[in-house]
Amino acid sequence: MKGYFKKRLVLFLTGVLLVGMTACGKKDEGMVNLVEDDIQEKKVVNMFGPMEKSSPEADNVARSSHELTVIMAEEELGLSVEYRTYTAETYKDKTYDDVTLARARSDMDDVYLLNPDTIQILGSEGKLVDLSCLESSANLRDVVRVSNTVDGKLVAIPQEVVVYGLFVNQDMFEDYHLELPNTPEEFLECCRVFKENGIETPVGANRWWLENFVFALAYADLYNGENTEAEIAALNNGEAKYSDYMREGFEFVKTLIDMGYVDAERAYTYEAIEGEGPDFREQKTPIVMAYWGAANADIAYGKPEFNLQVIGFPSHRGQMPVVSMSGYGVCANAEHLEDTLAVMDIILSDEALQVYAETNKVISPSKNVEVECIDALKPLNDLVNDGVYVLGSNASMKLEQWGNTCVVVRELLNGASVEECLEEMDRLQEGTLGE
Amino acid sequence: MKKRENQEKTTGRKRLIIPLIIVFFILGSFVFFIARRISTEMSQSAIGNLSESLELLKGTVEVLFQREAQYQKLIAEELAIIEDPEEFILSYDRNSTLVKMSLVFSGETEGISNTGEVFYPKELDFSSQERVEGIPISSSYINSMGTWAYTMKCPVTKNGREIAELYVEYIYDSFDKALPDRLYNGSATLYIMDGQTERFLLKPKGIGERDAGHLNLQDFYRANNILEESIQQSVAESMKQDGNMMFYHKIQNKDSLIYMWAVNDGSVYLIGYVPVESIQREGNAVNQNILIVVLVMLVAFFMCCAVFFFYERQQNKFRQEREAEREFHNQQLGEALQAAQVANSSKTTFLSNMSHDIRTPMNAILGFTTLLARDADNPIKVREYTKKLTASGQHLLSLINDVLDVSKIESGKAVLTIGEFRLNSVISSVDAIIRPAARDRGQSFEIQVTGIRHECLVGDETRLNQILINLLSNAVKYTQEGGNIWFRIFGLEQRSSQYEHIRIEVEDNGFGMTPEYLEVIFDAFTRAENSTTNKVQGTGLGMAITKNIVELMGGTIEVASEVNKGTIFTVDLELRISEQEEDAKFWKNHGVTRILAVDDDGDVCEGIQALMEDTEACVDVRLSGEEAVRAVETTLEAQAPYDLVLLDWRMPGLNGIETARRIREVMGERILILLLTAYDWDEIDAEALAAGIDGFLAKPFFVSALKEKILELKTRGEEQAWAGGALTLEGQHFLVVEDNEINSEILEELLDIEGADCEVVVNGELAVERFAKANPSEFDAILMDVQMPVMNGYEATKRIRAMEREDAAIIPIIAMTANAFAEDVKDAINAGMNAHVAKPVDMEMLKRTIKDLQKRG
Repeated sequence: MKGYFKKRLVLFLTGVLLVGMTACGKKDEGMVNLVEDDIQEKKVVNMFGPMEKSSPEADNVARSSHELTVIMAEEELGLSVEYRTYTAETYKDKTYDDVTLARARSDMDDVYLLNPDTIQILGSEGKLVDLSCLESSANLRDVVRVSNTVDGKLVAIPQEVVVYGLFVNQDMFEDYHLELPNTPEEFLECCRVFKENGIETPVGANRWWLENFVFALAYADLYNGENTEAEIAALNNGEAKYSDYMREGFEFVKTLIDMGYVDAERAYTYEAIEGEGPDFREQKTPIVMAYWGAANADIAYGKPEFNLQVIGFPSHRGQMPVVSMSGYGVCANAEHLEDTLAVMDIILSDEALQVYAETNKVISPSKNVEVECIDALKPLNDLVNDGVYVLGSNASMKLEQWGNTCVVVRELLNGASVEECLEEMDRLQEGTLGE
Repeated sequence: MKKRENQEKTTGRKRLIIPLIIVFFILGSFVFFIARRISTEMSQSAIGNLSESLELLKGTVEVLFQREAQYQKLIAEELAIIEDPEEFILSYDRNSTLVKMSLVFSGETEGISNTGEVFYPKELDFSSQERVEGIPISSSYINSMGTWAYTMKCPVTKNGREIAELYVEYIYDSFDKALPDRLYNGSATLYIMDGQTERFLLKPKGIGERDAGHLNLQDFYRANNILEESIQQSVAESMKQDGNMMFYHKIQNKDSLIYMWAVNDGSVYLIGYVPVESIQREGNAVNQNILIVVLVMLVAFFMCCAVFFFYERQQNKFRQEREAEREFHNQQLGEALQAAQVANSSKTTFLSNMSHDIRTPMNAILGFTTLLARDADNPIKVREYTKKLTASGQHLLSLINDVLDVSKIESGKAVLTIGEFRLNSVISSVDAIIRPAARDRGQSFEIQVTGIRHECLVGDETRLNQILINLLSNAVKYTQEGGNIWFRIFGLEQRSSQYEHIRIEVEDNGFGMTPEYLEVIFDAFTRAENSTTNKVQGTGLGMAITKNIVELMGGTIEVASEVNKGTIFTVDLELRISEQEEDAKFWKNHGVTRILAVDDDGDVCEGIQALMEDTEACVDVRLSGEEAVRAVETTLEAQAPYDLVLLDWRMPGLNGIETARRIREVMGERILILLLTAYDWDEIDAEALAAGIDGFLAKPFFVSALKEKILELKTRGEEQAWAGGALTLEGQHFLVVEDNEINSEILEELLDIEGADCEVVVNGELAVERFAKANPSEFDAILMDVQMPVMNGYEATKRIRAMEREDAAIIPIIAMTANAFAEDVKDAINAGMNAHVAKPVDMEMLKRTIKDLQKRG
């Protein structure tokens, strides 16, 4: 027993001695330059996008999903994607779209996250690369391809199909025994009941997304009828007027403003979600409008304390989702064009889009990727799956819709009449015909 | 004593622990103090380093501003001397730093730019009064390229008169390359903030940098949870004075150092944070190493302690074990001494008793020998004296046998001779010995056997007999005349299907025993009652032998007794059931297939039926003689007569004998009739035979007993012939090998009585020589002693068997020796002898053995 113990002790002490000697040993490295050489040029891709303004505690699922795909690209290509960002501090500042246009025109960055209007503008200016060259572009759904094709070039590809809808507090509707509205009349009736029951602003709005009411009423028949292409052709050659299509929509928004269902003064200054969002989350406002992903994101309307439902905008054809495309466009004169296209090919691949869609629970632009949506989005999802929607942006229309209509609706918020707004639309249409 | 030692040890350890704790406390405090001091100094040093780095960065940015201002001044000077400044402006191409150049002539509200656009100076805000190298710098703004920019305004003077103002727009992105990419290995963040608007003009890049907190100072506060008004107030005051600021705060749950460094007199600020752990890496590393060293030392110390305590504990354990061992040995020695003393005392007593017991029959032998010599002419007295001599000799022999038995059992040399036996034969042999003894003393002796499922068992039949005879003979001895003795055997519940579990009870209503005697009844060499006062003759070893044999068989023996009331011995044994198959055809072969059992006791009838269940014979039962006769008549008429009738002797109405007579009248000689009785049948023997009873069968009923009886009856003629004239040694010639002259003389005489003669040799060697010289068939057998001088019996036998003579292998050699144990019998057989007959010689046994060997050929 004693011998056994002694042997163990000697072995242990020998081990400790060896470890100690090894730790204290110094390798003779000879003469080397101890300065770390970090001058080696690293490969980068500059990406311009909006910056977060919401609470740092909130989880932005959409951005997290996007970053997952970017990490895939960085790991595979051995480069880093550097973000340059901008967000307007107040409504008086230049908008993100303004800055994006300026930067793209000045070739400041390699890739941009673009809104529909800027896609069309920059596409038509030839500032964006035709992304049909990407392998991943072969998997795109037709609606995505059509919406983002300008002058025959696929100038932008999104990571999700952005569908706008009305976010409603179903509990509040039930409190006042209201059915969810399908038509403009039903919608106004709901607003009336809410208003009479002390809800100061039944519809929470911001300066960006009121135009969806206009699109739903203007294009419900166009996109869900038989003569879509012919009607668009008539608009493009001036035989038909956008103002005729949009009259009812502008009148409807005007009614909402006049009846006090929308607080125009505030909406004019509100940034998306940042302005109207808090009242909706606190159940002071029963209705807001937002994009699909807002229902999943903690920074927007994810995990509310009430029964949230996302429905389409009112139209005479019933509820109508508005599909709008934002997407990634590559600068035609990008400094790192080759690397940028490689990054795009990875973040828009089916594998990456699957990760994105699963994380963010959105409709993927790839026809090969399908994920289950949350319960609140099912009404909207059912409509889209049934092919019932209008497009908020359509590159095949010569007059850019999303940005222009937004600007005109903003004028309506600022006190312009419906006629003035329609005249502006006519002017804009004439401008495009002139080009 | 031990307790005191333990207490002293515990107190000693406590005394050791307290100074140890104090030493550890002092050492711990010292290490803590050192670590803290290192940490503080390193922290201060790290803050100093950070300040120096920020100063360096500040200097870099300021140099950039200054160079831009100087460059702008140079261009302004150039513009002052060239003829067409507008052309110069329009010809200028933007670069990565200087992106727009505009010129506004004095007195005008608009000017020209290198971009070709009209330039409106009022769109720029120079209200902050900030200057670089003396020229004003505007507030920051988003320029036409969509990036943060600033413009410096420099007058163009010619001949001392300001002729125009040169506006040059610079972008903050140009600073990016001058600032470090990975401050503190990328763990630090760095922004450039506009001093007036508090907006962030240059931000970190990469994943995660789109998070909140990059917009302006308030957004930075909000995103990083710096919500304390006091801090925000201090920052504001510091900014008012264009001062620097550095403070600790938690950022993303990490202690961080937040810094704000004024550049160019507060026109812009370097702002950001770095986790404390990043700037104190060296300090932390030193502290961690100190901690590791301390931990290693502590571990080493505790290991040494553990080794010391372990060693001490082992030593204590060894010491205790040695002490325990010593104590145990002392105790063993004490016990051994006590046992030796007791044994010595017991043996002294025993020897005294033995002396008495041996001297008593010896006295009789010698006395009667004297009387025999005197009255040799009186045949009546000679016969009487020889009878008494025989009795004394028998007693002396049994005494010697008992003593030998006990010594053998005590020394552990006793072994059981295992073989198959029938319980019936055991009971019969016991009954044959005990019943006459009991009858002599006028005692009733009853045997009961119940619940036995298997009567053919495996065990040492001789030893079992010995147990029963010891117990029963004691019962007879210690029960007054006219008393009762019960011998019962019960079948208990089997613990294993392979073993019969039996209980033997021997009960009497005799003298009984005192409780004191009961305690020592089974002790060897101990007698409860001094034999000198004991009326009953005996060695006093019987019970010790009995107990030892029972235990040798794996059984138990218990006794209960009360003085003048009686005693009961209970023996529990488990005996293996024989696997030997019964002769299934026995009954058919002997023509017994239908049996009638007649007894007024229904239990007896049921017992017979149960025991006969597995046989081929069919058993009917009747409870009276009359019923039995009727049954015999009925079956006869039905032409299915009984082959055998078992009749109880004593029955109400017709008794067994009368019933037998009636049955004989009906059946004639075609049926076997046996009388089943628990009584001695000698007195009714004649009457029964006259009534036509073929034989008697003792109760309790056993199948094997019945089979034996049937065999006996069927082969009676042959047996009688064999038993009559065959057992004689007339005319035979033996070689007797015996070194004891008296023994050889006695044997010679005994053989002479039997009509045989012999030749005596005195050792084995002579026997071998004599046999070698003998003619074939000269000797009928060799009677060989074992212990002899020169050559013993075993060796002689081996030599004889090894001879090449034809008769060497077949001549019967019978061991005749006083070595009478089973092992002796085995040794004899192993040496080549054919049989073993113990001394003193029983002539009947010798004759039977010789005849048996000769018969086998």
